[in-house]
Amino acid sequence: YSYCVFTFSVGYSAVALNHVIDFKEKKQEIVKPVSPSELFPSLPIVQGTSKRIKVLTRLTLVVSDPSHCNLLRSTSANIRLYDIIAVFPKTEKLFHIACTTLDVDLVCINVTEKLPFYFRRPPVNMAIDRGIYFELLYTPAIKDSTMRRYTISNAISLMQICKGKNIVISSAAERPLELRGPYDVANLGLLFGLSEGEAKAAVSTNCRATMLHGETRKSACGIVYTVKKPRKVEDEERTLPACKKAKTQA
Amino acid sequence: AAPSRRYVLCEVVSEDPRCRQCIEDRAVGLAVRDAIGKVHGDYGLACCSISFTVKYLNAYTGTVLLRCRKDSYRLLCSALPFVRQLESRNLRYPCFLNTLHVGGTIRTCQKFLIQYNRRQLLMLLQNCTNEEERQCIQKSLLSCSLTEEQSQSGDEEDDDGTE
Repeated sequence: YSYCVFTFSVGYSAVALNHVIDFKEKKQEIVKPVSPSELFPSLPIVQGTSKRIKVLTRLTLVVSDPSHCNLLRSTSANIRLYDIIAVFPKTEKLFHIACTTLDVDLVCINVTEKLPFYFRRPPVNMAIDRGIYFELLYTPAIKDSTMRRYTISNAISLMQICKGKNIVISSAAERPLELRGPYDVANLGLLFGLSEGEAKAAVSTNCRATMLHGETRKSACGIVYTVKKPRKVEDEERTLPACKKAKTQA
Repeated sequence: AAPSRRYVLCEVVSEDPRCRQCIEDRAVGLAVRDAIGKVHGDYGLACCSISFTVKYLNAYTGTVLLRCRKDSYRLLCSALPFVRQLESRNLRYPCFLNTLHVGGTIRTCQKFLIQYNRRQLLMLLQNCTNEEERQCIQKSLLSCSLTEEQSQSGDEEDDDGTE
């Protein structure tokens, strides 16, 4: 857990601990997330402010078959306990389903191998409208040269379709030295084809929006809003003749 | 017109305290050039090495100030995350570089560094365990300022041994 203390010293204000579920292996059950207060008795303070670091829990589902998505639709109690839910689709059909119907916060984009499918505009635009973000990982690019090529080519093909909107860049670091500071990660975004403003947003505002999306997914079921309808005088005049007509017909 | 330059201020972060021994001009310069070559190839390496030097180093705090031309600072900055280790005298230590600030002159980087070090000292102050350390840090904090002499202003803090 010295790993997490490290993150904090580099300037981040929130961290998510990821738990990956891969449906290819048998007998996968979704367990309750480990509560952050058990792991860290006292959280360090964000550099430059006086608030404590936020530690969130996150679940990533690797789906390669439509039946795996049933878990998301079922009202399993354990899923609701995670702050952020991400899905990693392996086929084009599943990518479409994830963008259009599934109730998730993040769609992970494969960076470790050549994409088996091309991105198309309709599902990507729907995902952007629904407030779902696409996630790119940067740690494989740092570790290995072949992964670097796949990461950059997959990222650039995504950029061409989504025009740099709704991107989140995160690390999948397993060791403290695989992390990079926020300024550096924004510079990596430039390599992926984002503009400067988009790259900075990918590390800051988009991540906060994802956290909010997760919170609203956990709490809100639906929204009811009332609108005061202005009553116009002309409408009343029009309705009167109709009533008169009805009476005469009856 | 004089060639415009960009000064990139970064911090070497490592798990092993012995990595500080490797913080010297040659080692850092080689590591950065290596990373640029890996990411941007021969073209990138050629562009970035036009005015590239390591201007300032502080082994106690791990602060490094790099200089490059304004036209190629993006190539340099985008390659910095790919530095994974520092090597010197046949000793290799894994680490990474954390970019703190990019400025057009040494003076702006200096001002930023003083503010940054002051914040770091404040954080150290909060984690102090004994009274002696506390007093030392308080004294250093009160004496940080941008003086007119260029040479001394990088080393405001004396107590990073308490990490």
